[in-house]
This record gives sequence, structure tokens and C-alpha cells, in this order.
Amino acid sequence: MLLAIDIGNTNVVLGLYDGARLQRHWRVLTQPARTADEYGFLIGNLLADQRAALTGIAVSSVVPALSTTVGTVCRDYLHCEPLMIGPGVKTGMPILYDDPRQLGSDRIVNAVAAYERTRAATIVVDLGTATKFEYVSSRGEYVGGVIAPGIGIASEALFARAARLARVAIGRPSHVVGRNTSGAVQSGIFYGYVAMIDGLVARIQRECGVTAQVIATGGFAPLLAPASATIGAVDEFLTLDGIRLISERNRGH
Amino acid sequence: MFLAIDVSNTQMLLGLYNGTRLQRHWRVMTDVGRTADEYGFLVHGLLGEFAAQVSGIAVSCVVPAMNTVIEALCRDYLRTPPLFVGPGVKTGMPILYDNPREVAADRIVNAIAAYERTHATTIVVDFSTATIFDYVSEKGEYVGGVIAPGLGIASEALFERAAKLYRVELAKPKHVVGRNTVTAIQSGLIYGYVAMVDGLVQRIQHEHGVRARVIATGAYAGLLAPESETIEEVDEFLTLDGLRLIYERNRAAN
Repeated sequence: MLLAIDIGNTNVVLGLYDGARLQRHWRVLTQPARTADEYGFLIGNLLADQRAALTGIAVSSVVPALSTTVGTVCRDYLHCEPLMIGPGVKTGMPILYDDPRQLGSDRIVNAVAAYERTRAATIVVDLGTATKFEYVSSRGEYVGGVIAPGIGIASEALFARAARLARVAIGRPSHVVGRNTSGAVQSGIFYGYVAMIDGLVARIQRECGVTAQVIATGGFAPLLAPASATIGAVDEFLTLDGIRLISERNRGH
Repeated sequence: MFLAIDVSNTQMLLGLYNGTRLQRHWRVMTDVGRTADEYGFLVHGLLGEFAAQVSGIAVSCVVPAMNTVIEALCRDYLRTPPLFVGPGVKTGMPILYDNPREVAADRIVNAIAAYERTHATTIVVDFSTATIFDYVSEKGEYVGGVIAPGLGIASEALFERAAKLYRVELAKPKHVVGRNTVTAIQSGLIYGYVAMVDGLVQRIQHEHGVRARVIATGAYAGLLAPESETIEEVDEFLTLDGLRLIYERNRAAN
């Protein structure tokens, strides 16, 4: 079985694959100060007896400080040399970025997973700590993308910095124009982000002269997608699936 | 002369009016730790020879902790009791909010200044610590609004929280699709916020079945407005002008 590990700025997501099927998944807090022994103990116990069935591990990380820690966890606690996705690893996707080494591994991983499904011009929207857009051409080239502040961190900043605003739950309000402060804030966060997504997707399509398929992933995707005019599909596990695909493409190397 | 003071979460904007004309303006940092004497000394010094000519002051303040400081600064250093915009102050605009006391002063002030210009259905977009939208009906009623995270605080949060991303200059990139991390972030901030503004304006118009005039103000208005399809006009001093209007309406009433 393959263990796919997606190290994001907020969470580390682990997915256990039996072939192409995601069998189990776990989510733990990203905390670079925690040691390899702490993560090793935790991940080892989450995997429990499936630990013995592991035949490979592949990792995508956007947190350099945790990459080393997770590498140690894989070797010492899971007895498996991990494939760290990054420069030099075969992805099967030409990268047209100015400097491909600069491209975050989660972004190429998402692009690979999405294009595998569509085989057409595609925009991936990852609604995580940052809101990231990746544009893949119809020929399957990674062209470039857009990075905006994520809905969670932007809302936290709003509550922390605006003296009179109380924290509200992020959700869909009944009206766009709020007639009380919590309704107005809910609208700004929810419809504001939906507008940002739809507007950026429209601008990308216009600039590149294409109609692209739009796949969303990340924690806020299920909440926002129903209100979006552009998101065609939601896949919570897109990144894990991309890690699995890249792992398969590198098998035997 | 009349002094308008707009206290927001990040800055205080002071405007000195000679009649309806804004003669001078100053910006200082909002810092709730500073005392009335520190602000008094600073503001008195900035006003210089005009300090003695101030005969009226109106204040919009969204930071409750600053109220007493501003009050003391006006009384002790400018010898003028300030008019604080809030419940009980005549604005000339009916407020249809669930609880009118809950609408922050700067929002009413902006709505009044904008409607005074358009006398039509209007949306004000204020790019401040928060990005605030206020909707005024054709009849000049304050209907309600939308409050989204501001461009400045959201981009700071991005640089603090995403390990591999670094601070970029807030500038418009050549392309929407960035081919390096700097231009990808610039695109997300500039085009992302423009998309947010245009999309929210369109949704407000759609929900109310109207076409509104759109006036923008606040720190980022000048940067974002040229890219927006909905903002028609930018007025950096909209809030100050609204304070002047409210002051005049209350002076006439008393």
C-alpha cells in the first residue's frame, strides 16, 4: 500500500492507498516545532497494523522545516524511503513556469491530478491556507497560476484587526446585503470569496482564450462551490491523488 | 474652520475645511496605547497656526478605546467640543439596519457623502482595514452592507502564514496567470480583490434589482479602481466630506 503525505501550511493530510483506491485518510496539525519522534509516534499509531503493509511513501511539502522531519519519520518509524516530490522528480507534465524549481510541489501535484481527470484545459482552485489557482493547457502543460490570501486566514485577520467586529461562523447568509453586522461579515467572507474565485477564473479564461474545466479542492471547497458559477467539480482528496499518480510515474526509478 | 476626524482601525485621517473646501489633511497612526496628551501635542502641532481657528469638530470613530482620547484632545488642545457621529446625531438618512445603533459611524458617514453627490441608488466601497460595501436606496435610505477582509490585512496574513511565500510589492502584474511566485501573488492580490469587488457589487445590484452608482474610497481605491468594471469614481476624502455634511446638518438643526 502507498502512503501519500500532503504537508500544507495548516494541516498535514495522510492518505493510505490500496492501488488507486483511497482506503483511509487522517489529518494532523502542521507544527514545525514538533519533533520526528512526536510525529513518528502519532503517525505510526494512526496507521496501526497497516504500517506493515506499506510498500511506498510519497510526500508533497510546502513547509521546508517539516520536510526533513517527515523524511525521518518515514525512515525511522515507517521503514520506508519516501519520494519527496520536487525538482528532479518525474511528473509527466511540462512546466512552463519561469523557474520550475520555484513552483510549490502542491501546485504541480494538483495540476497533475486534475489533468488526469479532464484531459482538457483545466483550472484547479485550492481553497486552503492560500487560495491557489493553477492553469493547465489543453495539451497538459502547467502554464502558471494565481495565489490569493485564503478564506480562513483572511477572516481571522479581519476579526483580529477590526476592533468592533465579532467573530462569525463562515457560512452562506440568506442575503448579500446584510442588515446587521454579523450578516454583513458573513456575506463579505462567503460571497466575497465566491466572487473572487469566479472573477479570477473568468479573467484566466479570457487571458488564455479558453473555456477551462474547473476543479476545486481544499477545506473550504464544499462550502463555496455550490454558490460558484464556475466550479464544475469538488474533490477533497485531489492533492493526495496527485501524489499517488506521481509516485506511480516514478516507480522503478 | 471645521476639522473632520476619521478614526479607523489602522489610521486617523484629519481634514481641515474652509467652508466646503478641504484645505489641508493629515494622516496619523491609530494606537490605543497613546494618550490624549501625546495625540493633543501631535495634532496641535500639525494644525499649527490653524489650531486657534478651529471652531467646529466632527468625529467618526470605529475604535471605542479611542473615543475618550479624541474627546480630551479636542477639548484640551483645540478648545472645541467634538460632535461624535453616532446614535442620536441627526444625519438626514433613514437607517434600515435591524439595529441602527449597530452601524459603525464611518459607514453612515460614507453613505451620506456619496448620496449627497448622486441622489440615486448608490454603493460605497471603502478599502480600509476591512473592505466595506454600503448600499443606499434611490430614496436615500441606508439599507445595509457587506464587510469583507481588507486587502492589506489579508495579504499580511498570507505572508505570515504560508511558509514559502514572501512579501511582494502591491502592484498590478502584466498577466493574470503568473509564471513566477511574485507575479502569481500580485495577480491574486490585485485581480483577486478587483474580482471580489466587482462580483459583490453585481450581486448586490442583482439582489435588489437595481443599477447603482459606485463610489470608492480608502487606501487601496486608487490602485484597484482602474481595473474594476463597476467602480465609477474614487474619492479619497469621502469620509471627511460626510463628516462635514453631518456637522452642517446638526448645526443648522440646533
